[in-house]
Amino acid sequence: MSFFSLEQKWFKFVKSSQIKLLTFFLIALISIFFLSVTLGSFDFNLRDLLSRKSDSLDSIVLFEIRIPRVLLAAFVGASLGISGASLQGLFRNPLADPGLIGVSAGAALGASFVIVVGSSFFPEFIFGTFILPFSAIIGASFVISLLYIFTQGFGYQGITYMLLVGIAVNAFASVGIGILTYISTDSELRGLTFWTMGSFGGSSWQLIMPALIIISLTVLWLIPSSRKLDLLQLGEPEAYRLGVDVRRLKFKVIISSAVIVGLSVSLSGMIGFVGLVVPHLVRLLGGVNHNYLLPGSALLGASLMMGADLLSRILIQPAELPVGLITSAIGAPFFLWLIFRIRKS
Amino acid sequence: MRKIYIFFLLLPFSIWSACDKSNDPSRVVIAGGSITEIVYFLEYEDKLVGIDVTSNFPEETSEIPSIGYVRALSTEGILSLKPSLILGEEDMGPPLVINQLKLTGMDLKIINEDRSAQGILEKIECVSKILGITTQERLNKIKNLTRDINLLQSIAKKNEDKDIRIMLILNMQGTSPIVAGQNTSGDGFIKMVGGKNVASNFEGWKPISSESIIAYDPHFIIITERGMSSFSDIESLSNTTALKFTNAAQLGKIYSEDGMAMLGFGVRTIKTALNFAEIFSK
Repeated sequence: MSFFSLEQKWFKFVKSSQIKLLTFFLIALISIFFLSVTLGSFDFNLRDLLSRKSDSLDSIVLFEIRIPRVLLAAFVGASLGISGASLQGLFRNPLADPGLIGVSAGAALGASFVIVVGSSFFPEFIFGTFILPFSAIIGASFVISLLYIFTQGFGYQGITYMLLVGIAVNAFASVGIGILTYISTDSELRGLTFWTMGSFGGSSWQLIMPALIIISLTVLWLIPSSRKLDLLQLGEPEAYRLGVDVRRLKFKVIISSAVIVGLSVSLSGMIGFVGLVVPHLVRLLGGVNHNYLLPGSALLGASLMMGADLLSRILIQPAELPVGLITSAIGAPFFLWLIFRIRKS
Repeated sequence: MRKIYIFFLLLPFSIWSACDKSNDPSRVVIAGGSITEIVYFLEYEDKLVGIDVTSNFPEETSEIPSIGYVRALSTEGILSLKPSLILGEEDMGPPLVINQLKLTGMDLKIINEDRSAQGILEKIECVSKILGITTQERLNKIKNLTRDINLLQSIAKKNEDKDIRIMLILNMQGTSPIVAGQNTSGDGFIKMVGGKNVASNFEGWKPISSESIIAYDPHFIIITERGMSSFSDIESLSNTTALKFTNAAQLGKIYSEDGMAMLGFGVRTIKTALNFAEIFSK
């Protein structure tokens, strides 16, 4: 019953033009999904494959290699987009991005630890493929707990305090990564470098399924907070007086961003600019209310990430570019243009 | 007793990368420069359909499609070349891509790396077996090479008694050189020519301070050609603060050499090692 009432509220605060835009994003998402699934360095005839005329290698490439990869790209894009949008709302700062609270750095520290120290302990361990994401998640959770402790349960000390803690945590994690970089051997160092540039290569169903489920649930949990994020834009005391449990809202936004960003980073490495730029793009196109912004950022984030991954796969085939390079190469000029535009107006 | 355990623990790894004959070596993809060198040496290059970016010798390799960097390969990219056999060095990766390649049932062979002259011969033997080259044919091809190895080993043995201190630099990171420590290809190369690696107190490639270099006081310094590229000549390199006060710089005993020819541990490494062994023996 409560779900139904949420639904009503959702429609009440979204303009019809925004619903049109969201539908457009959804169509774009579906088209890019099909484009990404059909294009790639490995060629096959999709019609033959679906009518089971082609050999098994084709279907392995499609169902075991390409589709999991495209799905992971979509979910990571959606995670980064929506967590960027909700953190920008929470911090009331257009420059906030998922990296700001230090969760990606924590995940990166966990992953680096496995890349550098892990390889000497379990070179051919059976669960080898799970160790890196698992360790990244431990790193991310560690950061979340640190944040929780230092801000006394994401309490009332104000947003700035939390930002500063985030910066300190980031610095702490980069020291860890720096030490690991120093003690790494040549090959570990290369592994580390490529990991930090991000890639969706190597995705498999066992690896991504748990993440896809957790990300979907978290996003569904987060979206109903949209209206409260709108009210928060008036200021924390004002939102509080309008009946928003600010502390609970902070808790919800930070925990959910941390979870989905931690999972994304652990599976795909560091992918820059998507969490920062996508919410701005969505705002420019349709408006600033979070009922529209959150789903819009998730949809557009997913489309853009699949597009970037598609480029990374086909630009220099049969080799592959790290996807983080592509998102930054597109994101950085866009960001500059955005700053320029704000200054003008 | 413990040694036996370790032996059995390591046994599967050595047999795994076994050099069994491939069923169909007609379309070969290679990840690792030394293996490409060996395939060219065995004159089997017309079977190559894809190689990684570390495979840059001989020059003709630039005409073969590139599958990217050996540690950042792409599953689909490799499969798109429709290979019948994939040969890789031990550092081929990332591991997830290796898993995916195994999943597709590809004939994937990872060749053991032992950074010594004997190791190079074993690698050639392994590749030959996989490609189905007969022992007679292989022995014919490596005739000159074994002669060089024998010569190298006899010179290296004499060098060992002379306590020749060598430092090997990959490149300069700012003003500190990146030096080969223990368990690096550079360390393997120095041992091959019968020298003593001055950097024996750390592992891997590390940037070293000027003070440590003076303390190391190498008799000879070798730098890769890529590392040399930021200097106009050996003269200007030996005048940098980091190297100025070493024995080697003052006596002009700094040499530069192509990185892969020296550290790739393909066929060329033997010849390069022989050259250096002869220089050091004087």
